[in-house]
Amino acid sequence: MALTDFTIVRRSITGRLFSSVVTIATVAVAVALMLVLISMRHAGRAAFERGSGNMHLIVSRDPSPLVAVLNGIFYANPPQRPIAWREYLAIIDRFPLEFAVPTQQGDSWRGYPVLATNTDFFTQFRPDPVTPWKCSSGRWFNKELEVVIGAAAARETGVRLGEKLVLTHGVSLSESAREAMLAAGQPVMEPHVHTEYQFEVVGILEPTGSAHDRALFISLESTWILHAHDRRVAENPSATLCTNADITEEDRKITGIYLRLPTRAGSDTPANLPVVFDQLRRDTSITVASPSKQIEQLFRIVSNIDQVFLGLAAVVLLSSGVGIMLALYNSMAQRRRQIAVLRVLGASRSRVLGLILTESAVLGLLGAITGVAVAFVGNQAVAAIMKARLGLLIQPTPPPEFVMPLILATVVLASLAGVVPGVMAYKTSVVRNLKPIG
Amino acid sequence: MPYPTTPDAPALDIRSLRFRYPDQSAGAWTVAVDALALRRGEQVLLTAGSGRGKSTLLHLIAGLMDPAEGDIRVAGESINRLPPRQRDLHRGRTIGMIFQTFNLLHGFSALENVMAAMMFSAIPPREHRPRALALLKHLGIDRPDADPDRLSVGQQQRVAVARAVACDPVLLLADEPTASLDPENASGAIELIRAVAREKNAALLCVSHDPAMKDHFERRITLEELAGNTPQPASA
Repeated sequence: MALTDFTIVRRSITGRLFSSVVTIATVAVAVALMLVLISMRHAGRAAFERGSGNMHLIVSRDPSPLVAVLNGIFYANPPQRPIAWREYLAIIDRFPLEFAVPTQQGDSWRGYPVLATNTDFFTQFRPDPVTPWKCSSGRWFNKELEVVIGAAAARETGVRLGEKLVLTHGVSLSESAREAMLAAGQPVMEPHVHTEYQFEVVGILEPTGSAHDRALFISLESTWILHAHDRRVAENPSATLCTNADITEEDRKITGIYLRLPTRAGSDTPANLPVVFDQLRRDTSITVASPSKQIEQLFRIVSNIDQVFLGLAAVVLLSSGVGIMLALYNSMAQRRRQIAVLRVLGASRSRVLGLILTESAVLGLLGAITGVAVAFVGNQAVAAIMKARLGLLIQPTPPPEFVMPLILATVVLASLAGVVPGVMAYKTSVVRNLKPIG
Repeated sequence: MPYPTTPDAPALDIRSLRFRYPDQSAGAWTVAVDALALRRGEQVLLTAGSGRGKSTLLHLIAGLMDPAEGDIRVAGESINRLPPRQRDLHRGRTIGMIFQTFNLLHGFSALENVMAAMMFSAIPPREHRPRALALLKHLGIDRPDADPDRLSVGQQQRVAVARAVACDPVLLLADEPTASLDPENASGAIELIRAVAREKNAALLCVSHDPAMKDHFERRITLEELAGNTPQPASA
C-alpha cells in the first residue's frame, strides 16, 4: 500500500500519543457535555409532552390556559372552580368527539394527588400517544371505593394490591414536608380525612414517564360519594354512610375535561380543531387550552436557562478547539524538518497546509466520536438513575438529529483550530530547516 | 516511470545566475554562476570553501530559493520561473536530493521514507511499495520495515540515496553527502551514489569541501570558476 497524506496524519497523531489523547479527551468531554445537556433538555420536554398525550384540548375553570394545563395534567394544584356535570354533558354534546374524559381533582393520599375519572381515562386517553395504559398488576377500577395507583406513587409508598387506603379532602402533606413545615414554625393545616370510606387498591399501573405516575385514580362516583357524605354530615352530624343513591346533582361536579377530536387516518391534527377551540372559548366561564401550545409557551419561558447551559457547553467546545490549536502549535517546532523534507520531495505549500488541517479535523472527529460514545453511555446511566429514583422515563440515546450536526460542527471547529499551525507549516522555510542540527 | 522531460535537454542548464541574501551588501553576490550545464549521466564535483554558497546553489537549483537574475533549467524547464505549485511538482519528479544529515523522516520506516518520495510523483500508487522494496534491496537494506534510527549510519545513508532516486530523477543533487561518515565509509558512500546515478542515467552534482572527494570525479569545478570574473563575497 502506498504512503498517503492520511498515513502522515496518522503517524503524526500516534507519534505524539499523550498529547493527542489529551486533546481528543478534551474535545470528547465538550461534545459529551453538549449532548447530555441537549438530551436532558429533550427528555424534559418529552416528559411534559407525554403528560398531555393524545388529548387535543383541556377544559377547566382555571384562571388561564397555562394554569389549566399545569393543574389538570401536571397536578400542580387542585383546580378550585368546578364544572357541573350537566355543563360537561352540554359541552360534549356540541361537537363530535373521539373522547371527552371528565376529571375531578381535590382529594389526595399521603401528598399524592387523587384523580377521579371514568375508565375512558385508561382506555381512550394515553399519556404517551403511542403507548396505552397498562397495569403492572391488578386491573382498572370498575366500581366505587376502588383505587388504581400510579407507578411512582406505588413504588415510593410500597403500597400493594388489596391494601385499604383512606383519602383526604384537600392535599395532605408527606411526612417529610410536614416535619419541615413544623420545624420552620409554619402552620400546618390538618387535612380532612375520609376515614369512613376505605378504598381498596385494585390495580398498579406501569410507568408512563408522565406526572400521572405520581397520582391515584378512583371513579367519579367515589369522589361524589365523599362529597355527598360531607354535605349530609354538615346537615346532620349523625348521617349514615352514603351510597350512589345519595348523590345529588349538586354533588356531581368535575374540575376538568380531556378532549380529543376525531382525526383522519395518518394525522394527529384534526381539521376542525381551530373551530372547536374558538367556539369553546366563546363561553367565557370556562378556560380552554391546547396542551401542546401551552407546553411550547412554557418552554419558551424557560428556554433562556437552556440557552445559558448550551452556551456554557459551546464555550467548553470552543476551548477544546483552542486545545487542538495549542497541541498542534506546540508540535510545529518538532515538525519543521519533516515539513521541509516533504517540501523537498515535492509537496506544495498548500498540501502541507492541508496535512495540518486534516490532522486537526481528525483530532476533532475522533474527539466528537468519543464524545458521542461517552454521551451515549452517560445518558444510559442518567436514564437508569432517573428511572430508579424518580420514575422518570428518559430517552437514553442522544437525539439523533443533533448528533451528526454536532460531529460536523466539531470537525469544522477543529479544522479552524488548525489554521494557525497550518499557516505556520505553510510558511515553514525549507532551506533553514534542512540545515544540519548542531 | 520517468517524468516527461524535454527530449535531449540537458539535465541542468544554468545561465547568468545571480543570488544574494537580503542582508547582503549590494554589489556582492552570494552565488554567481555564468554558465553550468550537465548532461544526463554526467557527474560533477563542485568544491568551494565552507560557507561559500555551495548549498545555496543547490537550493537555487532545486527551486527552494529564487535567484535575483538568470535562468535555471532542469530537464529543459525553467524551474525558477514556474508557479510555486508546478515548481514543487517539477522538483519532486525530476530532482533527487541527498543531504549531509540524510534528513530521513522520523516515525516512518526505511520503506516508508522511500515511498514518501513517490507520493508526489506520477508513479501509480500500487507500484510504490514493490519499487521501494526492490530499490532498498538493491542498495543492501535487508530490514526495510526498520525505523531508520535503528539502522547504522551507513544504512541510513543508503535509505537516503534510495529515496533520492526513487522517482528516477533527471538530476541528483548531493550536499556534502559524506560529511557525516568516516573516511572509509565516505569513499564507499560516494561510489554508491555515483553507481546509482549512473544506473538511473541521472546527472549528479555533488558539492563538498572534502579534498578526498576529488579522487572520485573526473569533472571537478570550483564555485569561483563558475563565477568567471564576477566579484565574489568574502563569505556566504
